[in-house]
Amino acid sequence: MTDTHNPDGSTDTHRSDDPTDGGRGTGSDGDPKTDGGRVYHEPPETAPLSDRGLLERARAAVPSAPRAVRYAVAIGVALLWLVPLVGLFMASVRPLDQIIQGWWTLEGMTVTFENYARAWTFQSGPMRQAMYNTAIVTIPSVLAVTLLGTMVAYPFARFDFPLKKWLFFLLIVVMAAPPELVAMGNYNTLRTTGLFDTYMGLILVHIGWGMGWVVMFLRNFLLGLPEELEEAARIDGASRYQIFKSIVLPYSAPALVSVAVIQFTWVWNSFFFPLVFMRSRENQLAPQVLPLMKGRLQIDWALVAAGSVLTMIVPILLFVTLQRYYKQGMVAAVAD
Amino acid sequence: MSVESYLEDRLDRDVDGEKLTAILVFMLPGLTLFGIFSVGPMLYSAVGSFFTWDGFTIGQFAGFETWIATLNDDAIINWDNLLALEYPMGALPQNIIWMVVHVPLSTFLGLGLALLFADLRGRSVLRSMVFLAFTTPTVVIGLVLLFVYDPQAGIFNELLRVIGLEGQVRNWTQEPQIAIYALIAGGVWVQTGFSMLLYSSALAGIDPALLESARVDGAGRFRRFKDIIWPLVKPVTAVVVIMSMIWVIRIFAIVYAAGGPSGGPGGAFSVLGLEVYQAAFSVPIEYSKAMVVALIELVIALPMAWYIASMD
Repeated sequence: MTDTHNPDGSTDTHRSDDPTDGGRGTGSDGDPKTDGGRVYHEPPETAPLSDRGLLERARAAVPSAPRAVRYAVAIGVALLWLVPLVGLFMASVRPLDQIIQGWWTLEGMTVTFENYARAWTFQSGPMRQAMYNTAIVTIPSVLAVTLLGTMVAYPFARFDFPLKKWLFFLLIVVMAAPPELVAMGNYNTLRTTGLFDTYMGLILVHIGWGMGWVVMFLRNFLLGLPEELEEAARIDGASRYQIFKSIVLPYSAPALVSVAVIQFTWVWNSFFFPLVFMRSRENQLAPQVLPLMKGRLQIDWALVAAGSVLTMIVPILLFVTLQRYYKQGMVAAVAD
Repeated sequence: MSVESYLEDRLDRDVDGEKLTAILVFMLPGLTLFGIFSVGPMLYSAVGSFFTWDGFTIGQFAGFETWIATLNDDAIINWDNLLALEYPMGALPQNIIWMVVHVPLSTFLGLGLALLFADLRGRSVLRSMVFLAFTTPTVVIGLVLLFVYDPQAGIFNELLRVIGLEGQVRNWTQEPQIAIYALIAGGVWVQTGFSMLLYSSALAGIDPALLESARVDGAGRFRRFKDIIWPLVKPVTAVVVIMSMIWVIRIFAIVYAAGGPSGGPGGAFSVLGLEVYQAAFSVPIEYSKAMVVALIELVIALPMAWYIASMD
């Protein structure tokens, strides 16, 4: 073993959380990063295999008392955080008179899907149509902003060009600006071009508006991507476009998935833009329909809950299945 | 000038020309849409706020007339109520109150939950449970809040009944003086998941050996937090705070869903975004007022953009 990280018998400090490891290592060596910051320790030949009995191991697996309390508190808090959404779900499958009694009373509970049927065919905006509209708007605008955003981000990460700083600041400003700021201008633009109250109009607005954070995010990602591959390809005579297509895009795949997932949630959930740009009944998006379900006097919770669950189920399923990308993206998008 | 250096120069320029073309090809499609649908409309609002408007058509130059009128508009700032600390105070103070209460609460709660979950088994599931509300459409959040605070069907009032505070039962979103805090609680409920997620990833980057050795050296829970954890997660705090502030400035759907376009009884929890919508898209159409209010939002958001740019 050439590793001299821990001169005095490093072989038995194979557990990285050994309390003495950190202190001694930096003290005696002074430069622990010489081997790439990682020290690999072979498990010692005398490593205990299973000298602990089953009972002992079971006892070790049960957390100590303060830790058990922490588990209880943690699980309690997490459940508490879900209560409002659980209530919404319960309301969506129960008749209205039972909801009024309180969705938490489980006595005499009946499960019905009639609320969903009513929401699906809701008179002033059937969810059947609204969900379809939302998908028609969301999917193309997400795909387009991901591709166009990567294309814009690439030169930002690799080349110098005039006005670069300026453009970059503009992108950040749009990232921080409220959507209301562009509503008036876009309203007039869409009116004059005949794109008002059309899928295409809303898609274009979403692409232009999403560009800010997508470019920021992908630029930061591309800066972290090693340039050597691209240089090698360049020496082999590949054009910049070929490099982009066959190296940059494939290597960015995880970041692109993150962008697409987050952007999908945002576009699907967005309320303000559809409210302003989609006016006719048959063009309404799902989030727009929900406030209409409240009704005039007594709120029809059964209908509202069913419509809400239908609307939120899509982004939530997406989050649950792709949560690795979603979380990574969320962290990377803002923490860089 | 020698032939060689001339040739080199030519070659450089050719390379540069090729590079410039490539940059244009890459950037033009995206930046065109960005220009037409984001930058253009922003400038449009900035310029338009200094003109009079007849419906959707621009009129004459009016200087700061609309700005002054807007800042004296009761819906934006209700000076009398503001001095008496009574709602409705107007959208601008209410938006700022929202920010002042919401941002610290969600930040600290997020840090607390991140610390609580940090080394538990199943922490990923616990985090997802807390984060779920953040992926929910904000309009649904607004409706959920209405549902939670409903005098009959709402679980919050049921909770009050159970713990014997029968007299406190009310429709919390309809009481002008407290409704905004009821909604802010909902905002905190949503945003905590986000700040928890960011703090969690920062905590995961802390070397457990460091904490362990501090513990062995006799540092208590508080000392360990103050001297090791806090300095390491401090940069994340700046990001969390800025992102939360941007979130609050943009708040719209929650308030719209919970209180309609007027923002609750008498606009008691109206926010700036709602006032833009009201001014621009409901009769009477006041385009210049809408632009001024939207620009006020931008002015509040600009320092944050500046900070994000300077982090780079």
